[in-house]
Amino acid sequence: MTDNNVAKSDLSVQLGRLTLANPILVASGTFGYAREMERLVDLSRLGGILPKTITKAPRAGNHPWRTIETSAGLLNSIGLDNDGIDAFIAHHLPYLASLSTSVIVSIAGRSQDEFVELASRLSEEDGIAGLELNISCPNVTGGVDYGTDPTLCEKLVANVRESCRLPVIAKLTPNVTCIADIACAAAAGGADAVSLINTVLGMAIDWKRQRPMLGNVVGGLSGPAIKPVALRCVHQVARAVDIPIIGIGGISNIDDAMEFLVAGASAVQIGTANYYDPTVSMTILDQLPDALKQLGATRTDDIVRSLQLPEPVEPATVAPTA
Amino acid sequence: MSNPLHAKFYADQATQSSVEVVENLEMARDTYRVRFRCPEIAARALPGQFVMLRLANYDDPLIGRPLAVYDVLQSQAGEPESIDVLYLVKGKLTTRLVNFQPGQRLDVWGPLGNGFEPIATSHLVMVAGGIGQTPFVCLAKEYLGLQSFGTPAREPARSKRVTLCYGGRSAELLAGVEDFKQLGVDVRIATDDGSLGHHGLVTDVLSRVLAESEQECQVVCCGPEPMMEAVAKVTANADVPCRVSLETPMACGIGICFTCVAKVRDDSGEWDYKRTCVDGPVFDAELIEW
Ligand SMILES: Cc1cc2nc3c(=O)[nH]c(=O)nc-3n(C[C@H](O)[C@H](O)[C@H](O)COP(=O)(O)OP(=O)(O)OC[C@H]3O[C@@H](n4cnc5c(N)ncnc54)[C@H](O)[C@@H]3O)c2cc1C
Ligand SMILES: Cc1cc2nc3c(=O)[nH]c(=O)nc-3n(C[C@H](O)[C@H](O)[C@H](O)COP(=O)(O)O)c2cc1C
Ligand code: FES
Repeated sequence: MTDNNVAKSDLSVQLGRLTLANPILVASGTFGYAREMERLVDLSRLGGILPKTITKAPRAGNHPWRTIETSAGLLNSIGLDNDGIDAFIAHHLPYLASLSTSVIVSIAGRSQDEFVELASRLSEEDGIAGLELNISCPNVTGGVDYGTDPTLCEKLVANVRESCRLPVIAKLTPNVTCIADIACAAAAGGADAVSLINTVLGMAIDWKRQRPMLGNVVGGLSGPAIKPVALRCVHQVARAVDIPIIGIGGISNIDDAMEFLVAGASAVQIGTANYYDPTVSMTILDQLPDALKQLGATRTDDIVRSLQLPEPVEPATVAPTA
Repeated sequence: MSNPLHAKFYADQATQSSVEVVENLEMARDTYRVRFRCPEIAARALPGQFVMLRLANYDDPLIGRPLAVYDVLQSQAGEPESIDVLYLVKGKLTTRLVNFQPGQRLDVWGPLGNGFEPIATSHLVMVAGGIGQTPFVCLAKEYLGLQSFGTPAREPARSKRVTLCYGGRSAELLAGVEDFKQLGVDVRIATDDGSLGHHGLVTDVLSRVLAESEQECQVVCCGPEPMMEAVAKVTANADVPCRVSLETPMACGIGICFTCVAKVRDDSGEWDYKRTCVDGPVFDAELIEW
């Protein structure tokens, strides 16, 4: 049904040195290691797959409860549960590399040296299209400073770039005062692209037991509830940097995906929606050519950063409150 | 091809569909049974497997809920056609589901998880607490040779005797007792308030059943965690094999979120967090670190 459309539209996107078949990716931590989804989703159709973030040493992750549903959202404190880079290379990468889809490996280090070590080791492996630096996970101590301090961020990105041949994407946290500053730093460090947003720091409380709901007390909010925050971040970053942006946050249907492209994202990652609508990525891909056509476009790039802003108006005068 | 990091039971048989509610009936106080047509899932579901169910087009609740396959119904031509799910009205999703009328839509994906492997025994003893009876209707049907499951139908294990030890807070909360009796299951009840059966814990009933049984027994168990832990102690003392079906909260049911972990021991005795949706929900009781 869509073969015709696909032939007519060019969905491919260029993210710095990274070329992807289409702009629909799946976000790290929300798609396992892809093997889980083999029969539910045609993996070869995805623009890119980001397996769950890996760290140098194995991590057991946080105590349950690890996720709590909130209004139109999900709060999580998984805590980067993963088996470490050795196990990843030995056991997950062979499967991922066998796919015809671009695989972008998400890494998190506790120090700059750890990031560099992870990057240079992965750089020697075949079958990896790029790296995403998770400098934004709210569920672990260490690592997150790189996502909140522009100087550290720039240095980290520059060092990682130097140590590996792969395209580098910096994944940013919204839990900062000015996300555009961090994006500028990543761009200055030589990032091929920035991806945003990771989860929004939040909390849930059981007042009857007078206890926090999450094992880790606080966690990261995701899902439709954070889409407006994510759109605002993409919009602000698009006005501040000219490197490509990957939009993430609450995307669960074609309208959401289109909003991010118009706001300034060259591609999007689908996260939490994979949990509650496992085939959502295929649905969005099916509908993308028609949605582009509605804007008179045949290529993804035609509509990226196409947001029309109102003429600048005088800032509303703030009436003094009593 | 075995990969030590791959889970044993990925959702390789699962399909996702939008289904129509056929009926939604009250079965006991706060307990309803919803039936929906979904031949693909019905044809593949094995006893002890579950489906993820979500209210179509709702953002709140957003996430699906795991629910055991209570029964697989066949068409007049004998083809698997619909699924029954028995649910306790508890929180966000189930309080809304109660109001669903025939014709309204649900999103469902499954069948998921390992379910119960067919292991032959002379006497199958099923132990349920709370809403934990739900995986046992299909299991009893299979062990009693009344229905086969899977496509192609899997080789069943048989048992001459099937007993259900079923514990609840009060008689009016017990649901599906007649369903089990009709299959020929020997039902033994325990209630906290003594309103029906033994006045006390289901483990008391289990101990008696195990002591009285002159056959080689096997126990399967599903219910709240403290109850499963207590059952595991009873079976360990009696030297009877026991499998438990964990009710760990889940967000995806297919292995991609790492919400549903439980501490499971490996051969060396060390525990690791395992995803109960793709490594379970059924485990040997002795492997669980409670
Ligand atoms: C494999 C499996 C099979 C199941 N089969 C059945 C079945 O056949 N029938 C049935 O009725 N139920 C079954 N359950 C339980 C079911 O999935 C739901 O938990 C239940 O339906 C409640 O959903 P709700 O939206 O109504 O309640 P919720 O709004 O989700 O709340 C229910 C309760 O759980 C608490 N809670 C909320 N989030 C969490 C969390 N992350 N971790 C721990 N507790 C939390 C809440 O505080 C509340 O007390 C099964 C669970 C599993 C894992
Ligand atoms: C349960 C869960 C686990 C996650 N794990 C990771 C992770 O390991 N690495 C990472 O970079 N992002 C992780 N994320 C963040 C997502 O990739 C994404 O940035 C975020 O959820 C916002 O998108 P969404 O609203 O579409 O989910 C996780 C999110 C969730 C909900
Ligand atoms: S429920 Fe998501 S991994 Fe098990």
